Amino acid sequence: MLFNSLHFLVFFPVFVGLYFGLPARWRAPLLLAGSYYFYLSWKPVYGLLLAATTLLDYFSGVRMSRLAAPAQRRPWLYLSLASNLGTLFIFKYFNFFTDTAVALAAALHLPLAAPTLALALPVGVSFYTFQSVAYIVDVYQGKLEAEQNLGRFALFVAFWPQLVAGPIERGGQMLPQLRRPHAFDYGRVANGLRLMAWGMFKKVVIADRLALLANPVFDHPHRFTGLPLLLAVAAFTIQIYADFSGYTDLARGTARVLGYKLVLNFRQPYLATSVGDFWRRWHMSLSGWFRDYVYIPLGGSRAGRVRTQLNVLIVFFLSGLWHGASWTFVLWGALHGGYLVAESLTAPARAALARRLGLAARPRLQRVVGTALTLGLVAYAWIFFRANSLPDAFYIATHLFSGWERPLAAQLPAALAGLGRHFVAELLVAAGAVALLAAVDYRAERGSMAAWLAGWPTAGRWAGYAGLLLAMLYLGIFGSSQFIYFQF
Amino acid sequence: MLKLVLRLGLLLGAVGLLGALGLATGLRRGYVDAFYARFAAPPAGSLVLGTSRAAQAIKPSVLAARLGSRYEGPWLNYSFTLAESPYGPGYLSSIKRKLMPGTRRGLFVLAVDPWSLSLLNKLPYRGATNPLRLGEKTVIFPEEKSMVSQLASVSQNPNLDYLAHYLHKPFYQLLLNTDTARVIERLHPDGWLEIALPPPTANPALLQRRTAEKLATYRGLATSSHLAGQRLASLHSTIIFLQTHGQVVLVRLPTGPDMAAVETSYRPDFDQTMQKLANSCGIRYLNYLRLPYPTNDGNHLTRGAAAQLSQRLADDLARLPAQP
Repeated sequence: MLFNSLHFLVFFPVFVGLYFGLPARWRAPLLLAGSYYFYLSWKPVYGLLLAATTLLDYFSGVRMSRLAAPAQRRPWLYLSLASNLGTLFIFKYFNFFTDTAVALAAALHLPLAAPTLALALPVGVSFYTFQSVAYIVDVYQGKLEAEQNLGRFALFVAFWPQLVAGPIERGGQMLPQLRRPHAFDYGRVANGLRLMAWGMFKKVVIADRLALLANPVFDHPHRFTGLPLLLAVAAFTIQIYADFSGYTDLARGTARVLGYKLVLNFRQPYLATSVGDFWRRWHMSLSGWFRDYVYIPLGGSRAGRVRTQLNVLIVFFLSGLWHGASWTFVLWGALHGGYLVAESLTAPARAALARRLGLAARPRLQRVVGTALTLGLVAYAWIFFRANSLPDAFYIATHLFSGWERPLAAQLPAALAGLGRHFVAELLVAAGAVALLAAVDYRAERGSMAAWLAGWPTAGRWAGYAGLLLAMLYLGIFGSSQFIYFQF
Repeated sequence: MLKLVLRLGLLLGAVGLLGALGLATGLRRGYVDAFYARFAAPPAGSLVLGTSRAAQAIKPSVLAARLGSRYEGPWLNYSFTLAESPYGPGYLSSIKRKLMPGTRRGLFVLAVDPWSLSLLNKLPYRGATNPLRLGEKTVIFPEEKSMVSQLASVSQNPNLDYLAHYLHKPFYQLLLNTDTARVIERLHPDGWLEIALPPPTANPALLQRRTAEKLATYRGLATSSHLAGQRLASLHSTIIFLQTHGQVVLVRLPTGPDMAAVETSYRPDFDQTMQKLANSCGIRYLNYLRLPYPTNDGNHLTRGAAAQLSQRLADDLARLPAQP
């Protein structure tokens, strides 16, 4: 079930009405039933997989809680890790690794045949396995009490607002909320609904519109050079932010309506002043996961300068791989790892340059320059994330700034074809919507949006809500297009 | 909670009202797309079926004017595209939904060509319980998830199911598409898709370019596809089903000479196959492939040619003995 589908439009109010209409003790069971209904609506058979891994993690956690010595706990940790990461490997990476091995063998003229698994990737598997891994490691390390109630643990894994694309929650943050009753609260519900509306606006008005601009070029990059390629990369840069943060707002808003607070996943990432800063603002729940469960166990920044940089590269290699079983994602991750290493190594030189150019004395200008450079680097890396193949990615990456002498009349109609006959109107709508997104992000950077909105006169606020809903209705592009991160 | 429900009700009511007003205006005055009118039309008693070639070549209004007394109406061209409506289980289900219940004297013109009866050589299979088996496995028809196969409500006006799921443009564009003089593509209420391009003679270079692109696409298709038993079986099922509701004819439509050559080289025995199928079902097979009508792109007839062909088809059908 997509958040931007008619199915959800019916499911959500019915569910919320039932949820608050039932006595408090029945709400958690209803939430669990709703979560499984939500998940089974994708493909029923994968509900079994979710249930099986949930059971195994639950029992591993409970067993560990009854054992004092780490050595006794370790087999349960390994069992749970093997189950979670094994599931991920089989469904997501098996074909990737076998295909790579076969291609490598063919290049070396070695005979190698490997089986291929015809398995569809269960939706949300990358998210809920990571959430379960975090739980089981926290329990093993004694940072978290194992959840003794199976239903509550199952709800922690399957909580439907964030099941399919995060944010990746931690047991310490979520389980206490699942133990508390949640009464109806006007302010909280209204706040959740506002967040949902804004998330939906970002998805259907911005992301899906910019996809029409990016897709024709990324699907046939060799037909284009220069400006159309640059436009497509810019469009995708905003598309992926609006798409993923839109989804996250919908997830967090939905959870808030039901009484739960999910972690913040985006904090105005395109206002970051460095790539390091970007990763403290983009997909924060995943970045935090990699920091706590990969980077720090590898030694983090305490194991010497070279090892620190190597740890960064390992983390970003794995982060790329987490996003998709393809070399384009691996390269995207590696590129970001490279950016961070370069950023760290050149920090003194950049500081000296800033002093020489007089930027150090003008912090606001320095921030603007930093933001522009970071945005450029991040956008360039998105090429590898979005391209359909490595050759396509390299073509785009190397032709962005060439071929500008080619007449645009020969390229632009094909580049704008996705926008249809009214492409001028579409470009204007896109520009207006992106400007609104930028303004909201800029405002949010300076303080709480909710507090800012609360300062508006009531009539103005309600007119704003009506305007947002009407904009979605009239300007939105519907047709059940999936959120980008659902494929991971 | 009541306070929130009341406020939300007011907000959504006001937005819904404004939305409905705009939508109604857009649907009444504007142009939706190349498919919508067929799904907003009432159930039909007589149907033209096929892909885009039939959608653009056969005008039901011309057939109705000549044959209206012999067959039941309403008349509708229910042809879509090669991707949406090749003969298969999905299209047949949609036809069943579109046919007016109780029809006994309908006319069903089934346009056939090798492409609408082919499958790609590399297709996914599933080991499921689909009746169309291929050895132990079952072919997954590429159009299985398409609009025509999936849309449950095919005769609703307005068709909100279609608008919500398959309209891939924002509503505001319906309000911009009111100037029919500037719209190249125009779907008539009877399902005929008019492409209002200047005659090909006006710009031979453009025609040549479009034809070359189209031929390249179909040559590629010819090397990657095969005439599929599963599709022929579906066509047979479609004929058998429609025969219980009236008279069925198979028609091979005219196309450009180069496209006809590509088709012939792809399946030289296609006419014999169709004739054999027609004989086995006791229906007529009318072959117009080589008739010299002008096209817009080497494949689809011009709107002028569509009118002429529809008239010729109506004359030929009028000469057929009426169904007992």
